[in-house]
Amino acid sequence: MIKQPNVILGNDELLVTMGRKGDLLGFFYPRRDYAQHVDESVACIYIDGKLLWTNESDWHSIQNYIEDTNIVSTKIYHDSGIRISILDLVHPDVPVLIRRFKVQSQKKISGKFFYYSNFNVGEISNKNSGFCDSDAHLLVQYRQNYYIGIQSLPEFTEWQIGKAMDTIWWTNSKYDMEDGKLQRNKEDIGNINNAAGWDLELEANGANEFVILIGAAASRNLLYKRMYELSKMSLEYIFEKTREYWVMWLSKKKVLKMPGLEGYDNLRQELFSAYNRSLLTLHLLQDCEYGSFVAAPEFDPNFEKCGGYGFCWNRDAAEIVLALKHSGYPEYCDMFFKWSIRTQLPDGSWFQRYWLNGDIAPSWGNFDYSTQIDETGSTLYAMDIYYRILEGLKKVEFLEGVWVSVLRAAEYLMKRTKSGLHESCMDLWETYYGIFTYTNASIYAGLIGASHIAEENGEDGMARRWRKRAEFVKQATIDRLWLQEGYFAKGILNEKLDKTVDASILSAYIPFGMLSPKDPVEKDMILFMIENIRKKLSVPINQSYGIKRYENDSYIEGNPWVVTTLWLSEAMFALALDLPREIEERYDETVNKLTSEGIKYLKCVLAGATSTGLLPEQMDKSTGKPAWAVPLGWSESLMLDNILLLDKICTKKAGSAEQS
Amino acid sequence: MVRDLFTFAGFNENTQIVWFTIVYSKEPGALSSIIDFLEAENASILYGNLDNIAQEAGQYSVYTELKKDINPEEFAQKIKSLGVVSEVEYGISEYRMVHSVNFPLYVVGVRGVIARALTIVDIIKTLYQNAPHAEGLLTISGLKGGIHSAKFFKSIMPLDDSNYASVIGELYRGVGWGILEIECDPKTYEGKVIVKDSFIADTYGPSDQPVCAFMSGYFAGYLTDYFGKAISVREVSCKATGKKHCEHIISLAPSGGTGLEYQVRGDTRDKAT
Repeated sequence: MIKQPNVILGNDELLVTMGRKGDLLGFFYPRRDYAQHVDESVACIYIDGKLLWTNESDWHSIQNYIEDTNIVSTKIYHDSGIRISILDLVHPDVPVLIRRFKVQSQKKISGKFFYYSNFNVGEISNKNSGFCDSDAHLLVQYRQNYYIGIQSLPEFTEWQIGKAMDTIWWTNSKYDMEDGKLQRNKEDIGNINNAAGWDLELEANGANEFVILIGAAASRNLLYKRMYELSKMSLEYIFEKTREYWVMWLSKKKVLKMPGLEGYDNLRQELFSAYNRSLLTLHLLQDCEYGSFVAAPEFDPNFEKCGGYGFCWNRDAAEIVLALKHSGYPEYCDMFFKWSIRTQLPDGSWFQRYWLNGDIAPSWGNFDYSTQIDETGSTLYAMDIYYRILEGLKKVEFLEGVWVSVLRAAEYLMKRTKSGLHESCMDLWETYYGIFTYTNASIYAGLIGASHIAEENGEDGMARRWRKRAEFVKQATIDRLWLQEGYFAKGILNEKLDKTVDASILSAYIPFGMLSPKDPVEKDMILFMIENIRKKLSVPINQSYGIKRYENDSYIEGNPWVVTTLWLSEAMFALALDLPREIEERYDETVNKLTSEGIKYLKCVLAGATSTGLLPEQMDKSTGKPAWAVPLGWSESLMLDNILLLDKICTKKAGSAEQS
Repeated sequence: MVRDLFTFAGFNENTQIVWFTIVYSKEPGALSSIIDFLEAENASILYGNLDNIAQEAGQYSVYTELKKDINPEEFAQKIKSLGVVSEVEYGISEYRMVHSVNFPLYVVGVRGVIARALTIVDIIKTLYQNAPHAEGLLTISGLKGGIHSAKFFKSIMPLDDSNYASVIGELYRGVGWGILEIECDPKTYEGKVIVKDSFIADTYGPSDQPVCAFMSGYFAGYLTDYFGKAISVREVSCKATGKKHCEHIISLAPSGGTGLEYQVRGDTRDKAT
């Protein structure tokens, strides 16, 4: 069953995804992509002979992050007057999720508090083992070198280790809870589930607290030690340590000022929050050992409705690391490019997508005709952007490390663009085969970047050759794909020009810079593209408009996407900054219009985030709410880019106002 | 064509639901004379259908609500004595498993549907062929249904040791799942259920293993909720494996955990077989 998370949290080794009522959906350890150990993990109250599962529809929830942290507060309310405040945090140093449940009731109640888990340790339901060490008060489930343990404060008083799916159903922990008491079975094997229980005795308006620690380790010994050490620490101490960790991490960011946004209600504050949330989220999507990123925490591991998201795409990651660099975190670039050097294929290209450790992932892009050449272009482009900001020894070291990779990638692009436009391959949406504006623009940017790096490395001949080819690609793209109607065609499919309006054509300007606003003709081309995309791809949501990918898009209902909406707003903001004042008639008016229109799209996306501020891939075309793939790193990175550009516009405007 | 359709409607201790299948001659006015007779005898007609397309004689299946003191056998004889009637069969739905056919259908208090047995068996077969723990999964699915049924029956009628078996038997017959013979000692919780013409076993085709885990789960859920004790039900003999009937063994589930014998699939389960 596909369930989209509403919130995520974690540390370097652990990534946890949760639903809006505090039910665990994912527990990824030790990597962000593998292994996902949980099928279900949720609290439950037993009163009056009935179980009240806290993730069921008769509970209402409010969920948010504690400001500037990856600590989560979830408050759930039951129609019967029971209220539970859940505080979730992951210790910054060890892979242990700490869950504090504070149960309150308007009426006196007498019953049980249960915590039920169905773990699939090692991402597999079979060949698991489970036991309860009643001396150590520890429930453990393990498979090979993955150990997941549950400990609590106060110590649980009853428990069950049972069969999750078996003909001997009465051992199933879920059913064992039905009569309000657990059987205390100590160990079992197979497809296992478990439950822990405590007495729950509440006077009217009274409260009870249960702290549950769910830890992971690579060995039994380590799990015991971790849980023991943690259980000695007070929750207040761990909370403060965790809060401090995130606040400190966030303090490295480029500081925003955003002057002059007072006229937009609460927008300034909303943008500050969104900026922080995107940064904190991207950190959780990165594998700190390898430097790669999951596109989104996996939510469709069986590929039931899509091809899955828990892998690293170079296209997404290249934009993510650049956004992080612009925001004050250049180290993510360094790690990702080291990973890229290692994962480059023998022909110089990059594969469709990878596991985070660099192994190639399940793919429908195994051949030259089905590969995505834009991923190679994007990676080269990003390498050069990063190189340009480096200084001194770091610059030298980076060039030395990356040169051979740049050479191989650039030559791959040369091989695939002999006639100007690229050879047939798959598009960035991973749906069509052909020749595409987006892919050509990325190749242009990749070759320009490679040319710059070659120059810096003293390889002028190569630099000239690659630049010449880049210009050839650009000219061929304009000659063959630019339409009189004022936009680039999507591409050439089955040897026919496909005039579908596709938001990805904006890439000719943002991010790949194939068109420059400094050139009057190209500036007009950019403006025409913006207008055509607005005209053809706008979907009214969130009191504004979201932008769908292309006309007649049918993937997951053809919803508007965050990425495409933020491309459009980013193009508007970038244009507002790039327009040359000296040649632009009515400069101020145009800049103001671009800015205010861009803000409308930005606000649409802000309204399409989860209650916790996470950005999805798509927004539901009817409700405007998050629709798919939460949180998507690519969306988060574009939010950073947008906010940084808007900050520049505001600062520039404020500076001009001061001068005048 | 829909025939003999039963869905559960409720309980009324003062009346009984009796169905009659009446074969009659097709001469003009024959059917009217039957209906006139039923009206004259105060037999409330709940639902009826005609099958006179392909037969020389017509067949009228009718569900009636009769007062408890009326003897169905005698009533059937009276119908048979009508000149236009050649044959009469009857049956009693003691627990009112009859409902007029309105949309949507209701079965055991909640919305129901009519499906070909093969439609359901195809789902079961697909699970067996593709899903890990298919037997457990079907057991758990059946368990939920059985628990629901017991709860529902308890909410509308007194369910006790005298009728708990016949209630589920009538339900099984009514929804076309099979004909049940239940023997279970309410003191020891031990016994067996014989299922004749199980729709799963009949439709599944030959199998090396028993295939009615869904029904085992259903019985387990029903009995567990009724007895208030965890009851194990396990199919030890299945028509799909070539046996005459399906047989499910009832026993009290072991308490105090899983026990080694279940982990290694040893003693207890072997005893059951």
